[in-house]
Amino acid sequence: MKQIINNNSSLFSNFIKNSIKAPSPKVQQNFMKVTSELVEVIKKILETEKLIFDVSYEGKKYWENAKKHKFAFVDGGAYSSFLSSSAPFAIRANTYIVKPDELLERRELFRETVKFVGNLYDPEKNLYDLDEDPYEDNQLLTKKKDAARITFETAAVARHVYENEKFEYLLLHGPLQTPIMPFSGPEFPLFKKEVIKYILPFFKKKEINDQDRHFINVYLNSINYIKKAKFNIFGIVEKTGSTIYLRNLLYRAKQKRLIDDVIFDKTISLIKRYKINDATLFELILSDCQALKPLEVEKQIPSKAWGDWEEQMNNFPKVFIGYLRTNKNQSPIRIESLNNPKKLHKDYEYILATSKLLPNYGFPAGLDVIDKAARIHSWLGKAAKGYYQKYYLNLALNSKDPTTIISALKSISDGGRKFKNRPKAGRLSINAK
Amino acid sequence: MVEENLKIDQKQGGFQLMLNKKITEPWTSIGTILGQPVIDSYTFYLKKYKAKKGDIVAAEAKLPTGEGKVIDVIVWGRITEIISSNDFLPNEATKELTEENINIQDTILPLTKNDSICMVTNLGYTKNQVGEKMLLLPINYPVAPGGTIKYPAKKDLASLLNSEMNSKNPILIGKLVAREDIDVFVSADNMVSRHVLVIGMTGSGKSVATRRLMRELMHKDYPILIIDPHGDYLGIVKQAKKLFPKHVIKLFYPKISAPSNNKEVIFALIEKLGKKLTDPQYDFLNWLLDNIPYESGQNLMDYINVLIDRANTAAANKRNKSSAGMNGIGNTGATTMGVVARSLRVVQSKLKKMEKDNKENMEKFPHLKFEELPDSYSQPENIISKSQVSILYLKGYESLPSSTIVSILLENLFNHRSAGNKTIPPFFTIVEEAQNFIPSRAEGQDGYPSVETIKKISTEGRKFGVGLMIVTQRPYKLDETVCSQMNSYIILRLKNERDQRFVKNTMENWDDEVARQLPNFANGQGIVSGQITNLPLTVKIKFDADLVNSDLGDEDFINDVQNWKDTEITKKKKSFYKNFDKIFKSDQRRPN
Repeated sequence: MKQIINNNSSLFSNFIKNSIKAPSPKVQQNFMKVTSELVEVIKKILETEKLIFDVSYEGKKYWENAKKHKFAFVDGGAYSSFLSSSAPFAIRANTYIVKPDELLERRELFRETVKFVGNLYDPEKNLYDLDEDPYEDNQLLTKKKDAARITFETAAVARHVYENEKFEYLLLHGPLQTPIMPFSGPEFPLFKKEVIKYILPFFKKKEINDQDRHFINVYLNSINYIKKAKFNIFGIVEKTGSTIYLRNLLYRAKQKRLIDDVIFDKTISLIKRYKINDATLFELILSDCQALKPLEVEKQIPSKAWGDWEEQMNNFPKVFIGYLRTNKNQSPIRIESLNNPKKLHKDYEYILATSKLLPNYGFPAGLDVIDKAARIHSWLGKAAKGYYQKYYLNLALNSKDPTTIISALKSISDGGRKFKNRPKAGRLSINAK
Repeated sequence: MVEENLKIDQKQGGFQLMLNKKITEPWTSIGTILGQPVIDSYTFYLKKYKAKKGDIVAAEAKLPTGEGKVIDVIVWGRITEIISSNDFLPNEATKELTEENINIQDTILPLTKNDSICMVTNLGYTKNQVGEKMLLLPINYPVAPGGTIKYPAKKDLASLLNSEMNSKNPILIGKLVAREDIDVFVSADNMVSRHVLVIGMTGSGKSVATRRLMRELMHKDYPILIIDPHGDYLGIVKQAKKLFPKHVIKLFYPKISAPSNNKEVIFALIEKLGKKLTDPQYDFLNWLLDNIPYESGQNLMDYINVLIDRANTAAANKRNKSSAGMNGIGNTGATTMGVVARSLRVVQSKLKKMEKDNKENMEKFPHLKFEELPDSYSQPENIISKSQVSILYLKGYESLPSSTIVSILLENLFNHRSAGNKTIPPFFTIVEEAQNFIPSRAEGQDGYPSVETIKKISTEGRKFGVGLMIVTQRPYKLDETVCSQMNSYIILRLKNERDQRFVKNTMENWDDEVARQLPNFANGQGIVSGQITNLPLTVKIKFDADLVNSDLGDEDFINDVQNWKDTEITKKKKSFYKNFDKIFKSDQRRPN
């Protein structure tokens, strides 16, 4: 096991990367010893719980049988530029739909399932008293961008459910459910009403109130809607730093009294200190075409929310998380679903087969395709950005409010230190004698 | 969804050109110009399957005139390369498909996102105004990115290719390779007056090209003289007589002769066909030629006989110590004289053999009537006449005598034309296997009198209506001066790199892209360029099946062997061989 760890494994690479300085041989040896023993133990637990299973792969035969089905792949793309009220400026989530045995002209569809250009967030409900400290602004901006991306990707999946599509499988690039704690703070803005109406067509409430427009509620509605889908939906995550499976595995072992509380706590602490995560550890346990059966996990932790979101967080469904090793060069990918897969082997066979089409990267090829299609290239956004900036500044100037004007200027200058350190108009103080 | 206030007016920034009202039918839009065009070329995104390599396409553009004005034009270009890609198909996937033998169509991989980018080399522009002729002019400004590329209608493209041709006696040579619905014409006027070089490796279609052009000239009753070293044109005689009943087709065999008063030619002939002479032998031969002048039109064989007799007489006199008729050769020994006489006999016997071979070859075509070539000095009208095709059959003759024969013939005919006395009309000469008549300096031109003759015609022929078509498969072996005088080219398939380099160094407006096509042309495909055409074109030459030479066979040698039966004599010979072989094997005696 030590040899395997040392031999270019992700675990070892992460260890080196995360060291503050080059680790001494003694530290390295200690790392090897601890991690190799941990790997052995985790492997034993997995074997005891019969969580490891083989996934068959016969490429030619598989596709000859599978070609009659319709498959979908969803990914989002956001334009890199943004404004305060519109972060990002333009966003979309696309779907690549393919039925391999169909005639060429009907075989494939690249669909822009949901897209938006303009003010995503409601400026009336938005705090435009922007901080001079760029760090705080950037934090909020990042959250807005993330929230937009998560919302739109989920909305795209929900749209297909709403339209009663008949897919065999739909794969989403990314987790099916994201922890919403970061978005639970008071400063987080609301979406505009038009946005809600657009991305939640199934949301039949006549009067949309402020609560409905908050990201957390929007997300919750979408997730619960997706759960009712009649086709199989999986979220696929590659290069994950998550430890959710490990933690849940240890918790389960604790529940079954395979380990006690002390060992559980110590092991969790060890994992944190050694920066071990699911993917790096399971890379050392699983071989090519091996998988871990899904565990039911709780993604939301209500106690950690900032605001009064406990009820909503409890209403998020649990997620089933498994892992699949798709090639010998990459760490396993994480597979999420909102329902416990009824035909686990068949489902994982499909994900494996699509991943084998990218033999080096080991990730479903359809997601690679839609990633390229969904991306918003700079040339697409540049002209619109310029137009929008003029429009936005015009609005700010017409308001004649200095605060609004300054925040508009800050927004279109992309904020940050550049704005903070700008030369300010006014008196020049000169020490003259 | 896009917010209302952000919708951009699509007409802003665009411009529309007025199409020439003369354009006959709508042209299909097939693509859009990509960024960074330059003056000579550009790339464009092509709608799937809407064009192919070699196609001529058009871009609407604006050009500055230099007087502060900007005019609407059409920029014409040729597609030189098409690059196909599918950015959505991961390269890695092909590895798995190959190793697992998976049919890509069974998988989720996208097949419909193939993009094609075309590279275009600009040919020039035409003015996009009513009333203007489709005259191609050199371009001086790049086309604009984002511009539309169109596929011109057949009639309009044909107009461009063949414009100005009406006044130049257009003759049909074939079809555009890229657009088989478009006929390509060449200028017969420029062809017959400014000479044409036809180059191609064996089997590339040189005969197809020469037959095509010959046919068209015959339609115009133009006199044609064909120098035929291998008898390639015999087979067409029968068909031509049927197809052109009003034409006279004459087959000539040569009378071996030499230019009058041209000792060097005779020397060279004798030296090359006989043995190399020493200085005293050379002096003696010189004395013979000085004392027995060669008369124009005299049969060379008869003349050589006279020389042999005289040499033998001189040798006999020397041995008898007689001084009769020995002026100037007092010091020459009898042996020397004898050697010269022997050498002359060798030459004579070789020439006789060539005559005999020539005759035997003619006898293979009993249905064809061969005539002795008339004296081109005194009877040129029997060789060159309106609606007459004269074929000089040289099979069996080696290069040097052939060169001599052709030199005399063409020299006399050219002199008749240049004298301006209207003895014969203008005519067109097709010289097959031209490397045998105009070898390059490197190949050795000594003793090839046809070199100077053809050089003269190539430089001065235009003034007197004497046109040349030089046909060869080894262009790099041709005389450089003659090649430089060829104003038009038909280049067929060439694989030899030296030949390709020759073409590159000789042709004006050479295009490296075109050069890459040379080894890959199909039979009968080639580039037509120079003054017989408006612009260099890749053409599929029209195949005149009815003029194919059936008498020479189809080179179906495998079939011949399979149907082969030994003659009776051969069978007997093989049998006797076995019999004798037995005897020799039984012979136990040791050789002395």
